Parts: sequence; C-alpha cells; structure tokens
Amino acid sequence: MSGICRSRLAEERKQWRKDHPYGFYARPEKKADSTLDLMTWHVGIPGKTGTPWENGLYKLMLTFPEGKFVPPLFHPNVYPSGTVCLSILNEEEGWKPAITIKQILLGIQDLLNDPNPDSPAQSEAYVMFKKDKVAYEKRVRQQAKENPP
Amino acid sequence: MSSDSEDNFMEEDSDYEFDSDGSDMDYEEPNDLAFAEVSDKKPKKAYEVDFSVQSLQDIKAAQANAISHVAGILGLSQDKAAQLLRSFKWNKERLVERYMDSSEDVLKEACIVLDDTKTTSYVGKPRPGFTCSICFDDTPSKVVGLRCSHLFCFDCYRHYLTQKIVEEGECRRILCPESGCSIIVDQPTVQKIVEPKILERFRQLLDRAYVEDLDNLRWCPAPNCENAVDCRLPHSTFDTVVPTVQCACGNKFCFGCGLGDHQPAPCQLVKLWQKKCADDSETANWISAHTKECGKCQSTIEKNGGCNHMTCRKCKYEFCWVCMGPWSEHGTSWYNCNRYEEVSSTDARDAQAKSRASLERYLHYYNRFANHEQSAKLDRDLYNKTEKKMEEMQRTSDLSWIEVQFLKKAVDVLTSCRMTLRWTYAFAFYLVKDNMTELFEDNQRDLEVAVEALSELLEKPIEREKIAELRQQVLDKTVYVDSRREVLLEDTAKGLGEDRWEFSFKRT
Repeated sequence: MSGICRSRLAEERKQWRKDHPYGFYARPEKKADSTLDLMTWHVGIPGKTGTPWENGLYKLMLTFPEGKFVPPLFHPNVYPSGTVCLSILNEEEGWKPAITIKQILLGIQDLLNDPNPDSPAQSEAYVMFKKDKVAYEKRVRQQAKENPP
Repeated sequence: MSSDSEDNFMEEDSDYEFDSDGSDMDYEEPNDLAFAEVSDKKPKKAYEVDFSVQSLQDIKAAQANAISHVAGILGLSQDKAAQLLRSFKWNKERLVERYMDSSEDVLKEACIVLDDTKTTSYVGKPRPGFTCSICFDDTPSKVVGLRCSHLFCFDCYRHYLTQKIVEEGECRRILCPESGCSIIVDQPTVQKIVEPKILERFRQLLDRAYVEDLDNLRWCPAPNCENAVDCRLPHSTFDTVVPTVQCACGNKFCFGCGLGDHQPAPCQLVKLWQKKCADDSETANWISAHTKECGKCQSTIEKNGGCNHMTCRKCKYEFCWVCMGPWSEHGTSWYNCNRYEEVSSTDARDAQAKSRASLERYLHYYNRFANHEQSAKLDRDLYNKTEKKMEEMQRTSDLSWIEVQFLKKAVDVLTSCRMTLRWTYAFAFYLVKDNMTELFEDNQRDLEVAVEALSELLEKPIEREKIAELRQQVLDKTVYVDSRREVLLEDTAKGLGEDRWEFSFKRT
C-alpha cells in the first residue's frame, strides 16, 4: 500500500474516535508490541431496530483494501467467503476516494435489511429470500441471536 | 463507400510501380491483382459487402466534426457537446431531439452541470481552513475542484485520475471523487491535471470508446494496425451475410465477429463450430459409446471384439458385457446373456451405433477442416523454401524479379482458397442433407480438386530449363482455382440470402 494510505487511516481513526454512529465499533488491531496495526481493523455493525436484524452485532475484518464478514454472513449479497457485494465497495462502480469508513459501514448496515436481488452472492440466502420470505426472516432472527453485541 | 476503399488500396499500393512496365507482365504482381479485384466490384459480387477503411486521423476528424456540429446547433461548448455525444453513443439526431425536448434531463443524465457562475473547474490555492478529504492534508499548495465545488488537493486528484485512466481504462465516466457526486471530470480538467503521457492514454481511450460505441465501426484486429473499418450493414443481416472486409493493412477479417476471414460460413455457425471443436464433448461421447466400467474396480474398458465374457485385466473380475453381472451367475448359457438381452441390450446397442455414427460424421468434417489449415501451413513453408531458390535463380540466371513472383501469387491464392475450403466443411457439418445441399457439395468438390492440383504443381522441383513452362501452368491453375473459389462464395452467399438450406441449429 502506497503513500497516503496510512496517514489517511490514522486520520479516519481520529475522526471515528471523535464521533461515530451509535452501536458501531471500529478499531485497528493491536500488534504484539501493543502498537496499532492501522492496516487491519475489527469492526462491528449493529442491525437496525425494527428489522429482523435488530439486536445482532455483525463483525467484519477490514484488511485494507479488502474486508469481509467473519464469520461469513447469511445474506443474499455476501459471498460464502464473507466478502460483501456492494456498489460503493467496488472501485469500478460506485467507490470514490472521498468515501469514509463511516460511510461504508453505514452503507453495509443499510444493505442488511435491504438486499439487492440483482446481484446475488450466495445461493442459500438468495434462494430463500426469493422463495420463502417467512423462513428467510426466521433464519435472519436466528442469526441475530447468534451474534449478540 | 466502395470508392473510399479503392482510394485506400491505391494509397497502399502506390509504392509499387504499376506503370513502369506496360507489358502483360505486370498483372502478376500480387498487390496489383488485389487492386484489380476491387475495381471489378461494379457490379458487386454477392459475397462482398460495402465498407471503407478509416485511419486514426479520419476517426479523430469524424469526432471533431460531430462535436462542432452539435455544439453549433445546441449552443454549447465543444467540451460539453462532446460529453453529451458520448453519453448518446454519438447519435446526433437523438441527442438533438431529446435536448430540444428537455435539456435539463439530458444534461443531468450525462452528468453535466451548467452553472454559469462556475463554468470552469477550479485549480488554484486552497481557502483557509481547507482539508482534503482524501489524504486529510490541510496545507496543500494547490487544490482542484469541478463545478460542483468539491475540492481536493492536486496530488490526490492527479492520483485518482491516473488510477482511473491507467488501471481501469476509464475515459467517459470519471466522476468527481466526492462520494455521491456524479459530475463528470471534463476533458479540459483532465488536461490540466494529469501528466502528458497519461493524457495521451486518455485521448487514446476516447478514440477507442468512439469506435466501440458505433455499430458501424470496428478496429482492424491486426497487431499494430491503427485503422478501423466502417461498414454500414445492419447487424441483423449478419446471419445471412458474411461481412468480410479488408483493411488497408491487408488484413482480411469478418466485420461481424472480428475473427479472420471465415467465408462462406456465417458468424453464428463459426461460433458453434469453434465451441464444438474446443470442448471435449466428442471425446466424452466416444467414451460413453465405446466403454463400460468394470463392476469391481471401475477401470474403463473398451470391448474391441470377442464374446460377452469379459475378464478385467486389472482385477481379473469376470463379468458379462451385456448385463454387467458376474459371469459366474450365467450358468450354462455361455456366450449368450439371456437375462438382459431382449430389450435393454438392443437399446444399448442402438444408442452406441447412433453415437458412433454422429461421431464419425463429425470427425469426417473436422479432419478435412483441420487438414486444410495444416496444408496451408505446409504450402507456406514450401513457398519460403522455394522463394530462396527463386532468389538464387535470379542471381544466377537472366530471369528478372518480376518473372519469379508468380509463385507468391499462387501461394497467396492457395492459402485463401484453403481457408475458404476449411470453413465449407464446418458449413457442411451443420447442413441438413437434402436436394439443395448437392450443389454446395459439388462446388466444394470442384474447389477442393483444383486446390489440390495447384498444390501438387507447386511441389514439383523447379528446373531452370522448364521454368517458363511451369510458370505458365501455375498461372493458369491459379486463375482457375481463384475462379472456383469465387463461384463457391457467390453461390453460398446467394443461397444464404434466399434461405436455400436447412441447418441443424436454430438460426437467430
């Protein structure tokens, strides 16, 4: 990773500590010598209240420039590897240099209960979402329980 | 359009001297004949299509022309007109019509903001308190922003644009780096920011995008050739017409699919055939038709004769080929499996016979298809060898350069005929046999016989005393072979046009 990456991430870290949305967390990994590894972040995204995702906190690992859900999430737009399919994460689609980590995390939170059926990434969740909404919601609620804050 | 292509051939050929030697010799010159073919075009042959060759300069000029035209009509700057044209795939009429209807919508869709107070992008010193939201630097010496006034430091902007242009090959829709902002970074701004080398690349990408956007243009696929070919035939006709074009660089290719000349086979057939040859489906067919697995160790076994009593070489398992059951259970009914014979085994045999027949049919055509390709290569090798010999003759005898050129012409014709022939075999593979296919097969056979005769002639050892005789023979044969090819192409083109044949695939 070149030049401005580290200083940018350090600045993002500063901004995040100043102010971040409720229920989220995002922190760089601590190395053995207890300094921070700015290239690897652990983040958590809460499900929105009033949706089957509520009361769950879904964890991602960001190893810039990549990131994925650990463990992989049951969601139509999340690949079996845990990678998320979202336009603002794709450099050739909607990604812009000025997008912040905060915006990305909020974007993923929006995606949770508003999946994009046009770009399925795993068959299990996609098929269930398409065919059996009741069973899909049940599964999502179950997953929320398995991912307490 | 056809006159354009002639002009190009003229230019291409201008370094040859047509007129230096008015004797009957000069028609032997290969490029001269190519030229003659083109001027013979009126009346056009059934298998030929109208096209013209466009150089890179022509393409640039055509864009500039369209841009000034639209800029004039709509009263916009060149740069904005260019952006609008790109978002309308250079369809001037539709753009002007839509713009007259609702200019605002059109500008919005094309990601252009027309704000008179800030019509140009800003490149200059930052205002106090500025922080670049890409690198969080608050003391850059220079900042850049578009009409949307999203400012970033110059270095970040340059890095972003370079990344988009070099890594992603993007040129039409590079948007402001601000998240959610969809204003296109216009060409003048790109010009102000990126390095000259990157700008050059950006312009190249724009030219490329122009050709790709237009249905009637296609780049010549030859390496290092910078020309495009303009062919106005609607793409919907390409199932009945094989649009073969020739670039000024000499490369002959199909306008429909970009592959090398594949007359007389239409693009769809070519695609099917290539897929069939590429995948292993036929091998798998053969295995399923000819072999069975040993019931015990699962080795694949081919039965190539003998009775039904099989003994696996590997595990020594004895079984019946017909019912696949252990041989020990067959009791005394030696060499005849009476348990399974009646229905299933006859079915199995039928299926095997059918599959074998279809495979053999495919192989018949494939072998001939592949053979012509191989032979064309051998002809080339032969030519290279002979050329050396001819050069030597030139040096040691009184034959002139032009007198030994007949071989080149012959090999050129031979190669193109072999290419045509090979595709006739793919073509024939998909033909459903009926009365109409006979004429095609006759034409194919005539061409094949002529080609082989010419090929044989070329392989004869060259003796100095007989060179004049050989030359005459080769010339005659070359002309004949070429005429056979023409007959075949002419007839197939007509046949496709009048839907004369039935094909074994569904035509789209």
